[in-house]
Amino acid sequence: MSTAGQEFLRKAAEKSADLVHRGIVRWNIDQYDTGVGKGKTRFADWSAARQRCHDIKWEGVNHLDKYLLQFEQKVKENGGHVFWAENGEEARQYICDVAARHGVKKVVKSKSMVSEEIHLAAAMEKMGIEVVETDLGEFIVQLRNEPPYHIVTPAMHLNRQQVSKLFHEKLGAAETQDPPELVAIARRWLRKSFFSAEMGISGANFIIADAGMVTITTNEGNGRLSTSVPRIHVALTGIEKVIPRLQDLATLWPTLATTGTGQPITCYNTLMGGARRAGEVDGPEEFHVVLVDNGRSELLADLEQREILHCIRCGACINACPVFRNIGGHAYGVTYPGPIGSVLEPHLRGLKEYQHLSFASSLCGACTDVCPVHIELHHHLLHNRRNAIHEGTHSAAERLGIKLFRWTMMSPGRFRFFGSLGRTALRVIHGMGLEGTALDPMRPWTKDRAAPAMPRESFRDLWRKQNGVH
Amino acid sequence: MPKVSLFIPCFVDQLNPQVGMDVVRVLRRIGYQVDFPEAQTCCGQPAFNTGYWDEARPLAERFVRIFSSAEAVVSPSGSCTTMVKVFYPELLAGTPLHDDAVALGQRMHEFTQFLVKVAKVTDVGASFPHKVTFHDSCHGLRELHLKQEPRELLKNVRGLELVDLPYGEECCGFGGAFSVKYAMISAAMGDTKAGNIEKSGAEYVTAADPSCLMHIEGILRRKKSAARTIHVASILAQTAAAGGKTA
Amino acid sequence: MASTDNPSRERILGRIRAAVQTTAPHHDGPAGQMFVPVTDPLDRFQKECAANITECTVTADTAASAAAIANVLASLPPGEIFVQDAPELRALVSGFKDGRPLRWSSEGPPNEASEATITLCEALVAQTGSVLVSASNGGRQATVIAPVHIVFAKLNQLVPDLEAVFARVYERGIASKNSYVCLITGSSRTADIEKILIMGAHGPRRLIVVLQTGG
Repeated sequence: MSTAGQEFLRKAAEKSADLVHRGIVRWNIDQYDTGVGKGKTRFADWSAARQRCHDIKWEGVNHLDKYLLQFEQKVKENGGHVFWAENGEEARQYICDVAARHGVKKVVKSKSMVSEEIHLAAAMEKMGIEVVETDLGEFIVQLRNEPPYHIVTPAMHLNRQQVSKLFHEKLGAAETQDPPELVAIARRWLRKSFFSAEMGISGANFIIADAGMVTITTNEGNGRLSTSVPRIHVALTGIEKVIPRLQDLATLWPTLATTGTGQPITCYNTLMGGARRAGEVDGPEEFHVVLVDNGRSELLADLEQREILHCIRCGACINACPVFRNIGGHAYGVTYPGPIGSVLEPHLRGLKEYQHLSFASSLCGACTDVCPVHIELHHHLLHNRRNAIHEGTHSAAERLGIKLFRWTMMSPGRFRFFGSLGRTALRVIHGMGLEGTALDPMRPWTKDRAAPAMPRESFRDLWRKQNGVH
Repeated sequence: MPKVSLFIPCFVDQLNPQVGMDVVRVLRRIGYQVDFPEAQTCCGQPAFNTGYWDEARPLAERFVRIFSSAEAVVSPSGSCTTMVKVFYPELLAGTPLHDDAVALGQRMHEFTQFLVKVAKVTDVGASFPHKVTFHDSCHGLRELHLKQEPRELLKNVRGLELVDLPYGEECCGFGGAFSVKYAMISAAMGDTKAGNIEKSGAEYVTAADPSCLMHIEGILRRKKSAARTIHVASILAQTAAAGGKTA
Repeated sequence: MASTDNPSRERILGRIRAAVQTTAPHHDGPAGQMFVPVTDPLDRFQKECAANITECTVTADTAASAAAIANVLASLPPGEIFVQDAPELRALVSGFKDGRPLRWSSEGPPNEASEATITLCEALVAQTGSVLVSASNGGRQATVIAPVHIVFAKLNQLVPDLEAVFARVYERGIASKNSYVCLITGSSRTADIEKILIMGAHGPRRLIVVLQTGG
């Protein structure tokens, strides 16, 4: 197993045993489930909404060149800049160059998972630029020096006491058990940054081809301030985020809000199409959109799995996933946790090193059930597994084991023989009290669960007894 | 007399043979002639799920041939039924047996779905005077839309009190090779499931998937829980005459 | 920016073009109506405002609207008010004699410590109880910077649903004439701490819509 895989196993083991953590996640997910349940009742036909979202994303992704070019043209017509970045390094370099050109000393960031993906903050900090996360959850994890726990709710693993202690230690704020007061502390602290930063960086929930605008779906207002006050606005997005028309948002905004947080629609859905126009009261002087590929065009070329690019990053699959519910977001060790990450990250980071994410699943399918754009997530886990085997990344021992399995199963006679042999051996070994010990061949099973009793007769033995041999 | 052929999954054959016999008992009780093609071994799911599609394919082809003349095939496993109905067409895409696989899928049924939707029977004359809760196994629930059928059957079991299982649709954590390759996650998921079973107050947890039950039973025993597992076929096989004996 | 400054552009586009020569399978499903049509927009708007915590005051005429706005301002601490420089707002605000400093959008963007802002809007949406604003409504900061945001709207700006508001956006060129458009639904909030909903994060804590039906 790769280093990343071993690290995953270690973290997963640690978190799986953490009952406090399990309880926190359960509580959070229960709140979410209640909210989403209510949210769906606002739709006359939820499956119609899913279908339309799928249709919109399908159209965008399957005509990606057309819509990206239309988007680019409109942005440029309005005086904005569009940069196409092959990978994280190019994106970071471009943004750092813009910052250097303008003598940027401080950046305020609205939430952007792509910025996490390309490790943008670290690169800017190396240049001596102060990078301030302004989304409350992101601000909290930034102070703790840890990555976001979840793509929608970055600090869901923490309670108010932990946040209070953090604010006290890092911001010098008085400790408090009152959540509104904690939010007020963050508001006062961050406000200074909105008004002193030279550059604001945002992500984009969608980019709209026919309007040449990027849109962000938020609740707090930090995204609006980050992109309205500083002189420069940089919007960072994956290439797959483009949708054909503004009116597609009439479908996408309420659906994203419902599956993202259980809201009918989020508080602020902001559309930005450039720097301030002549006659506008305020706004940035420069507008840059950075379109990031970073492996997406390769995934686009995979007809079987292209639909993974439909993802609108709502987080529903993450919340539904029983693996996530037990190991939490940090254990994955990658930008995107949960099912979407398990399916996407091997494509972005390499199947050989990150295939374990696709194997670390019971294939329950809850993710596919809840996905608002109809991505067959759990089937793609299987596809990644098959591809990993085809690339020859698994051990000779395992390949031999599966060949032995096939050889046995190709013959009822061999199956009967080895089945009987196995049962007998295990019955004897377990009968000697060796179940779960190092001498137990079933130890991978029995270290965590009791072994099933080994029957003396198989079904076909019983059948033959009852009905004769055929 | 209408006829069905049995598909007894490999691990049911070896580790839960009683479940197979219980399926036979119930089918005969409602008037079906049952045959068991002895050439069968395994549907290939273990190889398929671990990514070894090239090794699974010959097993799938073999399976399709064995059951090619069966009018109806019944299996006491949602996951194995899913393998045939949902995944064989993809596994055998572009091969000569693809269309036969699709056709076989139409004739393949999970046991409780067969009883309710094909045999159109919801009362099999069963008796099981215990408090029971139902775990919705993932493949059955999400791939076969198996939800109401077992409940309709259990409703008519004399003396049976069906109680709700909190988070009943949440995966138990078995997942095949996942249960040993990622054992700590699997065990944690199983631990959560076992906790919910205990919360339900049920004496028995039942399901349409013996693999789930094997995993849950293993966890319950380690937790020294009072609850026990029993396959839904084994409940349906119980009659008052048999004294409602526990499995 | 010359294409030589961005050689990756052609490479990326090349890969995309090659990939999309074949379309991927499409998931077919039944079409249907996503939302129940809004039959009484004014009623629905008020109900949604109550749910998303927007204070909606319906007034019959200019006098009543002026009074409603004055009422809100009277409840606020003394401090500068920022107002979108539009004839309707000039008319509504001209009668105020409470002596607090007043800054018009024609003078520039609002001060960071503004007590409240007053703007018009581009539209109201009944389906979600939302307010559509743009850069034309006093700028970008005008609708997010102060703890209190008062929106003055007329009934003919109320549209039934999101589809209708986008139709209006297209008809009037709102997205092409403005670099910034925002659909506001309720006051700023967060649930990032223990999933507890807290109002007033970085944006306004109070959003007030004065909706004039007549005059």
